[in-house]
Amino acid sequence: MLTTVVGSYPKIPNRPRPARLRGAIARFERGAIGEDELRRVEDEVTIEVIQEQVEAGIDIVSDGQIRWEDDQTYFARRMDGFTIDGLIRYFDTNTYYRQPVVTGAVRWQQPIAAEDYRFAAAHSPRPVKALVTGPYTLAALSANEHYGSFGDLVLALAQELRQEVLALEKAGASIIQVNEPAILKQKEDFPLFSQALERMMEGVAAEAHLYTWFGDIEGLFPHIMELPFSAIGLDFVMGPANYEIIRRAPFAKKLGLGIVDARNTRLETVEQIVECIRRVSDVVPPESIYVNPSCGLEYLPREAAQAKLACMVAGVQGAQEVLG
Amino acid sequence: MSKGLLTTTVGSFPKPDYLAQARNQFSLGKIDRQELAALERQATAEVIGLQEEIGLDILVDGEMERGDMVAYFAELLSESMAIGGLVRSYGNRYYRKPIIIGKLHWQGPMTVEMWRYAQGLTTKPVKGMLTGPYTMVDWSFDEHYESRREAVLDMARVVHQEAVELEKAGARYIQVDEPAASSRPEEMELVAQGLAVVTEGLKAKTITHMCYGDFASVFDQIARLPVDQLDIETANSDYDLLEMFRHHRFDKEVALGVVDVHDHRVETVEEVKEGIRRGLEVLPPERLYIDPDCGLKTRTWEEAAAKLRVMVQAVREVRRELGIEG
Repeated sequence: MLTTVVGSYPKIPNRPRPARLRGAIARFERGAIGEDELRRVEDEVTIEVIQEQVEAGIDIVSDGQIRWEDDQTYFARRMDGFTIDGLIRYFDTNTYYRQPVVTGAVRWQQPIAAEDYRFAAAHSPRPVKALVTGPYTLAALSANEHYGSFGDLVLALAQELRQEVLALEKAGASIIQVNEPAILKQKEDFPLFSQALERMMEGVAAEAHLYTWFGDIEGLFPHIMELPFSAIGLDFVMGPANYEIIRRAPFAKKLGLGIVDARNTRLETVEQIVECIRRVSDVVPPESIYVNPSCGLEYLPREAAQAKLACMVAGVQGAQEVLG
Repeated sequence: MSKGLLTTTVGSFPKPDYLAQARNQFSLGKIDRQELAALERQATAEVIGLQEEIGLDILVDGEMERGDMVAYFAELLSESMAIGGLVRSYGNRYYRKPIIIGKLHWQGPMTVEMWRYAQGLTTKPVKGMLTGPYTMVDWSFDEHYESRREAVLDMARVVHQEAVELEKAGARYIQVDEPAASSRPEEMELVAQGLAVVTEGLKAKTITHMCYGDFASVFDQIARLPVDQLDIETANSDYDLLEMFRHHRFDKEVALGVVDVHDHRVETVEEVKEGIRRGLEVLPPERLYIDPDCGLKTRTWEEAAAKLRVMVQAVREVRRELGIEG
């Protein structure tokens, strides 16, 4: 049983530690420092958050998405066909992102996250997951002013993001995680979703993970098991029905077990974590479970995020003793 | 007052530069609480003066003493809430997200003093402004309660007590904002239960403000919310929410947002009149109030004033057309 994270990590710590990235972005925005200097601070903070994950005992870490303004614009800004519009709420959170607007044919131009992956991997003693926002979610959280239908946009994005997946594979990423929270809100789109992900992942040799959050997979299981991914990540905090849903048919993939609430500061006890793992351990064997928070950790203050991870690791150790 | 199309605002006004600077100085410990409070009062008087000069009917104190609409109350509920670490809101913006750490209870008046001061400056009614229980809970971490429902209902008792105090002080309008409600329409029943506790037994006119959301599926619940007036964001969504009123029974008052608070551009009088006319297609003027989409605090003082002037001018022209001038 390995521990991992879903992706994002809080960008700044609290006092007395300095909020270096916040300061650097502010200075960059008013022209006081250049892109190189901003990049240098992003590098330092990326190393720092990898170290925090490692210190907490996480087996497979992420770069914390330190360079990402949000999951959508990180890709949309670097592809052709998008403009970036006003702030809009991210699902039911009190967090906002700038809405990408599709105004022309979407086109991948050059690697977006590959260099970030290389940097993180070179500075991490543990394996690093590469992260890609999936074509369905990127389309669902954008406004489409170009394609004749939403489906056309999703399929076009799948075709283009495929280039990113291949670039990450070429950069050496052994695990590539595709994030698709939006499918939980429009489950009737599963045929389109499936077609898009088949297209995107065809021939990809790296271990591919599909992660969802903020809900359950009622209506998507078991056909989600047919998608070309070796692991499926589920949110058991906002989607407690997942416990029961995954019992309805064989779970023939690895499971990303999102059991630590990444949207609340209250720390789970070791007993609670052990119990959550026990509830799925007869459906998925422990060696096929990745234990992780319920979603990205950026909804928490930095110190709470690290405490959550340390708790989670203690809980997993407890479960390993109990379950053998 | 006119017999219809009364004008108001949603609550917050932009803070004058001197107050923004003073708040910063205060947080750095360079000025004391008293110095800051004096400037808050000065700014409040300016906000009241501006609204009177523009000719609004129902005023607000502008929330000069508040930063974040949740943290302001959380800091005063110090026995059951704490202010946590920084959480990113968007871009490079962060806020301190409150944490519920104990059983919520009212500790004393939180808004009455500033309301009373503002009301003392004008003969027009000033609205009492409160953050609703659902939003208070949804925008805080919760380390105490076992369920959101318990937390919302306890918070509702706190907000109710504050509303009672405002009413005792003389407030005739009490607005309970629930911007978080629109993000989770499936919890509208819980929003309603919270508001029912807040408004129980109040004689003041009660209002709730909600941000734009997918309300079509829960319109029946919204129509039954235990408040007298629903204040909605409509200008920035091309008035599509008005369709709901066309197809459903609705006997509350509506405050219709007719200027977009997230846009620097000042609307034309003609545009705003068009918005008001669209409201009048589904509601009679005596049940239709006119205001901006949301709080004005993100605009500059000049933008806010310009938008309100256009709004009041548009209302005057429509009232004249309808023959309901005051």
